[in-house]
Amino acid sequence: MPPRLQILPTQWQRPLSRPLSAISSLSLLFPQIQQQSRNAHILASLSDTPGAYNKRIRRGRGPASGKGKTSGRGHKGQKQHGKVPARFNGGQTPEIIVHGERGFNNVFSLDLAPVNLDRIQEWIDQGRIDPARPITIRELAQSRCIHQTKEGVKLLGRGAESTLEQPIHIVVSRASATAIAAVEAAGGSVTTRFYTKSAIARIMRREMHPFVSTAWTKESGSEGLNNAEGAENLTESAIMKEMGFQYRLPDPTKRKDIEYYRDPAHRGYLSHLLKPMEGPSLFFRSPVERKTAAGVKKEKVLPENRLW
Amino acid sequence: MATESQATTEHLTREAPNSVWTTEPARATTYSFPSMEPLRFVEYPRNHLLMPLRKDILHRAVIYEGDMTRQGSANTKWRDDVHGSGRKLHAQKGTGKARVGDKKSPIRKGGGVAHGPHPRDFSTSLPQKIYDQAWRIALSYRYRRGQLIIIDNDISIPEDATPYLIKEIFKVNNWGREFGRSTLITDQPNEGLFATVREVGEHAKILDRKDVDVKDLLETGRLIIEKQALDRILANHSRDLAAKPAKALY
Repeated sequence: MPPRLQILPTQWQRPLSRPLSAISSLSLLFPQIQQQSRNAHILASLSDTPGAYNKRIRRGRGPASGKGKTSGRGHKGQKQHGKVPARFNGGQTPEIIVHGERGFNNVFSLDLAPVNLDRIQEWIDQGRIDPARPITIRELAQSRCIHQTKEGVKLLGRGAESTLEQPIHIVVSRASATAIAAVEAAGGSVTTRFYTKSAIARIMRREMHPFVSTAWTKESGSEGLNNAEGAENLTESAIMKEMGFQYRLPDPTKRKDIEYYRDPAHRGYLSHLLKPMEGPSLFFRSPVERKTAAGVKKEKVLPENRLW
Repeated sequence: MATESQATTEHLTREAPNSVWTTEPARATTYSFPSMEPLRFVEYPRNHLLMPLRKDILHRAVIYEGDMTRQGSANTKWRDDVHGSGRKLHAQKGTGKARVGDKKSPIRKGGGVAHGPHPRDFSTSLPQKIYDQAWRIALSYRYRRGQLIIIDNDISIPEDATPYLIKEIFKVNNWGREFGRSTLITDQPNEGLFATVREVGEHAKILDRKDVDVKDLLETGRLIIEKQALDRILANHSRDLAAKPAKALY
């Protein structure tokens, strides 16, 4: 038996019930005042807030429902009986033929999580990120500075001027030119490096180092980054042995990726591999290399009487 | 006109009264189990046992649990799943009978079921922070009505005790059927105790902490709960209270 809910507080019950029982005409006049004794239970009275949900429309349940006779489907035809394919515009020329297709899906683009400098500074001010340590995708995602790791992080320079109050050493997938300038003006460093989606997942599970890979050497990151990381020997084998990682961080194999991270303007981690006078492109070789490949070019010595 | 402007200025310049918030924690007495001797006072934060009653949140939690509990395992066979041949029962023409296909047709006895039920998942979703709130609201509702009896020690009975003992304990404390039944909640399952209490099911219901739902907290006349079970339930259901920002770990 469920407990009885008292309609009136205990101290009101007695004074109210006595006169009511004495004067029966009053109770006849106001039947709603009569003390009720019925079984009520909280489970029976639970309900969501009326404004929080919509009542289901019951179709085909008589004319009074407003959706009775044709159930809102009108008269006759395919639309009454089932579904009409989305591109059939009521028998007219389909939309896609009238207006054509617009846009395209860029299969080469990366879906990167943007992070701005002012946000990083705010996180540092709140003590959620330590500026003395390297800031990588792991720290950014763990402190919820970015919400999804996606396919990497791009550092953007919102509030670039005079936002950073201390040097930071940050490793990201890509960085904007203004962001690089602002971080370096504050005495910090930006290093961009290659990430894949599965590598990021392993980094988040602490099965992989956030930036040291086979191609990573001491010159890949700045001196500040190396000092912030703290390890003496920043090579993959040493790091993996020391920190007990089982998986190795991949390096780029696509020409486009390699060229991005070879570019000193992007502060790529492979940019120290460039020879003097060489550009980041893998197609155009460095002038130094070109010479050696072709052999030493003999200069033509023209006789005195020759014009060309 | 003049009086009106005066009134408005007074309204603007009047200082807002400082609201006084009661910060008194929820106080409860703990008892020792069979004797029901009061032992000590315990305090719980207001957001644990003095939550305002929100019937909408309780409703959502109860519906969420009910949906989650539905098995959804009803299954019927469509004509392809029924065992049998796809042979045409008789010729299309010339028999004088209605045209037929195979014997598994849904209009024939022994055929498949058209539009029958198939296994499905009825579970709905509820934000975990709201679900956690519902737990504390349900316990607060009980506490405020004096229907939350906290037991300091373990709820246990002697090895050789019969259901009669449970009956007597319930009779002495007015916990039985005529007082709306009671739910006993222990921290750990205890085979002997559970079997004994289930024999007097008209008076009592017994659950261990992991088996309890929000609906169980609201069902019977009162809850008789071990303090350890109560503490763990409250600790496991306060995700909405922990407002600590995420930090990078080094």
